[in-house]
Amino acid sequence: MRFTTLPIIGAGCSLLFACGGAAIPNEQLTTAKASVAAAEVAGAPQEPAAALKLKHARDQIEQAEKLIAEEENEAALWLLKRAAVDAELALALAEEAETAREAMAAREALEKLKKELTEE
Amino acid sequence: MRGIGKHMKQVTRNKQVKLAALGALLLAGCGQAVAPKELLSARDAYANAEGGPARNLAPVQLEEAKQSLAEANRAFSDGEDDQLIRDLAYIAEQKAQIAQSRGKRQELQRAKDGAGEQGEKLREEVLDARKKALKKTQAQLDEEQRAKAQATEQLEKERQERLAIEKKLSAALKSLNEVAQVKEEKRGVVITLSGSVLFATGKHTLLAIAKERLNEVAKAIKDQGFKAVVVEGHTDSRGSDTANQALSLQRAEEVRNHLISQGIPADKIRAVGRGEEVPVADNNTAEGRANNRRVELIVTPE
Repeated sequence: MRFTTLPIIGAGCSLLFACGGAAIPNEQLTTAKASVAAAEVAGAPQEPAAALKLKHARDQIEQAEKLIAEEENEAALWLLKRAAVDAELALALAEEAETAREAMAAREALEKLKKELTEE
Repeated sequence: MRGIGKHMKQVTRNKQVKLAALGALLLAGCGQAVAPKELLSARDAYANAEGGPARNLAPVQLEEAKQSLAEANRAFSDGEDDQLIRDLAYIAEQKAQIAQSRGKRQELQRAKDGAGEQGEKLREEVLDARKKALKKTQAQLDEEQRAKAQATEQLEKERQERLAIEKKLSAALKSLNEVAQVKEEKRGVVITLSGSVLFATGKHTLLAIAKERLNEVAKAIKDQGFKAVVVEGHTDSRGSDTANQALSLQRAEEVRNHLISQGIPADKIRAVGRGEEVPVADNNTAEGRANNRRVELIVTPE
């Protein structure tokens, strides 16, 4: 069923080519790399949980590029989809950690303020 | 079937493989009953997210995770390729975790905002309280100042009233100008009557004309109201001190008695003899001696 969703270029892959010769997943490659970049900007490398996911994303992109070179485009496509969603998760985790820090700081500031005001 | 290759040894999917797999299933006579662990993980992850803050705070991401999981479940129930199911399941799991993370983050954001608001409110309350206290102190100070001003005003009013009374008395008595000399002094209003007007030389009996004048004085004093009257008799320096003392006292008493007969209450008037002690003029001249021979009425206003 999935083969009906292959792009036009690869539409006839099952007839003319081996299905590993599906189109090069350029779009997914771009998306995955962009997601990784976004996660980096959000500070994912500095957050333990996020960093793990980010590394996983990068590794998968690397593997996907190798597969593309070996003309295993189908396999590469799915790896890239995984990589993209991993990078998104890394981003989410990084932003969550940042907000957690801010919430903590806000709570501490409030406690300090309360203390100051009652001491007067 | 399960376990067909990892991505590194990706088996190319094609229709034949799929058909073969389907065929194998049919031959086996049972459905693919056990889902791959990735799909189970994905279902768990979604259930987790659904039960957490994502439900209310990250509904969009949660819905996306739901769709993703549905796709994976569909692939499984349709008996799709195993690797496909795993891929979809993996993606679904990550999306569920993203939803969960977004929900938690929103929760934290609200906590942060809440703390900020509380701080603001607290500051405002403290500021308000301080302002109130300040106003109160200010009002107290104002009140004190006002009371002070009022007291000062009152004192001034009383002073002015006293002055007015004195002036009135003095004015009334000054109408006696032909009759007597009236002067305001610290000790009161002083009415000076010449000795020659009141008495014959050396005597202490009042002359008729003196009585008339004294009547006028008594009237003036009574009309104005007074607190006390002191009648002081004075002589010049001729003669002995003792004799002068006695004479001056006798004369003072004569005047006093007459004033009492004119309605001045006895307990408000007294007579004093000062002899030659307090001259007002030079005793070496006739005019001076004449001036020294006098009776003074010192009237204290009310």
